[in-house]
Amino acid sequence: MTETKNGGGFTGDPAAALSVAGTGGCCGNPPQANLSLPEPDGAATTCCGTAAEAKAESSCCGTAAKADAVASGSGCCG
Amino acid sequence: MTTGSEPAALDRLLAEVSGERMVATVATLAGDPFEGRRVGTPGGAAARAWLARQLEGIGATVTTETFPVRAVPDVYAAPIAEWNDGDIAHRLTFGRDFSVHLASVDAGDQPKRGPLGLAGADDPTGRWLLVPAAMALADAYEHAAGALGLLVGRAVDGDGWHFTMLAGPNPGRLPVLSVATELHERLVAAVGGGAASWSASSPIRRVDVTGANVHGRLRTATPRGVDLLLTAHYDGVGHHPGLRQPAAADNGSGVAVVCEAARILAAGLPSDVGLSVAFVDGEETGALGSAHHAGQLRATDDQPLVINVDGAGCLHEAAAVEAGGPAHGLLAVLDRAARHTGLPLTAGPVASDNRRYAAVGLATVGIGAGMAGYHSPADTADRVEPETMVAICRLVVATGWLAASDATKLSSLIGDRR
Repeated sequence: MTETKNGGGFTGDPAAALSVAGTGGCCGNPPQANLSLPEPDGAATTCCGTAAEAKAESSCCGTAAKADAVASGSGCCG
Repeated sequence: MTTGSEPAALDRLLAEVSGERMVATVATLAGDPFEGRRVGTPGGAAARAWLARQLEGIGATVTTETFPVRAVPDVYAAPIAEWNDGDIAHRLTFGRDFSVHLASVDAGDQPKRGPLGLAGADDPTGRWLLVPAAMALADAYEHAAGALGLLVGRAVDGDGWHFTMLAGPNPGRLPVLSVATELHERLVAAVGGGAASWSASSPIRRVDVTGANVHGRLRTATPRGVDLLLTAHYDGVGHHPGLRQPAAADNGSGVAVVCEAARILAAGLPSDVGLSVAFVDGEETGALGSAHHAGQLRATDDQPLVINVDGAGCLHEAAAVEAGGPAHGLLAVLDRAARHTGLPLTAGPVASDNRRYAAVGLATVGIGAGMAGYHSPADTADRVEPETMVAICRLVVATGWLAASDATKLSSLIGDRR
């Protein structure tokens, strides 16, 4: 089919969505009011770690990342 | 396979997407009767009943599945706090100046008053202790024997609210309050004067409740046909006493998108394609509803393609996509759909129910397009952008239609099973 030339779609490899970096939120989607294109950097933030960690732990949050966030009292896990 | 007539058919479906209908859905879900839709509450049950009726209205066979949810935090009375600098009492506002930390013990709704001190520096006995910014809460307990409670600095959001979380640490042995960072700094400075005091209540309990997912089956796939599952969580963090948290963007907007996309796809897909909807509960308590549902799918060896929407309220430059499971083929279709509808996508975290479905091996994409007022009173219906919901709904409709129309593209050479 003819695709429209309108800037839609992934700017890079769609498969990058299979290995996204961590998140600023915990057990919920983080606020993304200013999500910008595109900057997957492979690094986990304080909470909740990476998707791979979460998957490995059968949880939406990696335990280590969550423990760090809880211990720091810095917010996203309480 | 795609034919020359199919783009026009797809565009006809896309033209049916109604922003007005989604706005109305969000307004209803964010309304007072649903009380912010926390799992296990009457408001959550009312939202569930309403959603079931919406699904039945578009021809779905609706079922409900329950699951236990333990120790849900519940602030059962409006917390009170004030501090005195030695001369003047300053009454504080719950939700803005302070909130109840998830690690807090339930100390009731009557305020306890005592002098302010600094954890690690002052005698804790009978004091409210400010936890220094450099000290972890877990370490603060080491310095808190006999203390009235702990005060932890915490940044507020851009609207000045403490956002509410339901998933987090278990209660400790003391009352713990989160205090806005700026106020916390003022209190630390006031401790040096020696006359500052704090008075506060911390009415928070843990309740065991029952969560419930709402499932709607709109079409049944033929044995080799594509089966699509559209999901969104309908629960929110719930109102606090005296503080509405309507959960419009998170995730009334996602629910509205799924409702609208399901309505359109139900009538527009080929006859061999399956379509179901899951409005899952308990996301805010750790994605428990989707975990329950994913377990059911694994047990029955159902393998739908999963599209999860978490937040369609505030699109900036692109929608975030996080994929899991054998989703290369689904991602290719999503990309194609986004190119057709003109929506930029970027690989980004969508830490939601999509991870539960991916964890059981289902090809899954999670889509997030922003939220204003995350988990706060500012998550109101008027801040959900209709054009964002339209853009995400068009993406979902196009993805579903393309997946159904060209199922061979859903397999890849790198291990996808479909």
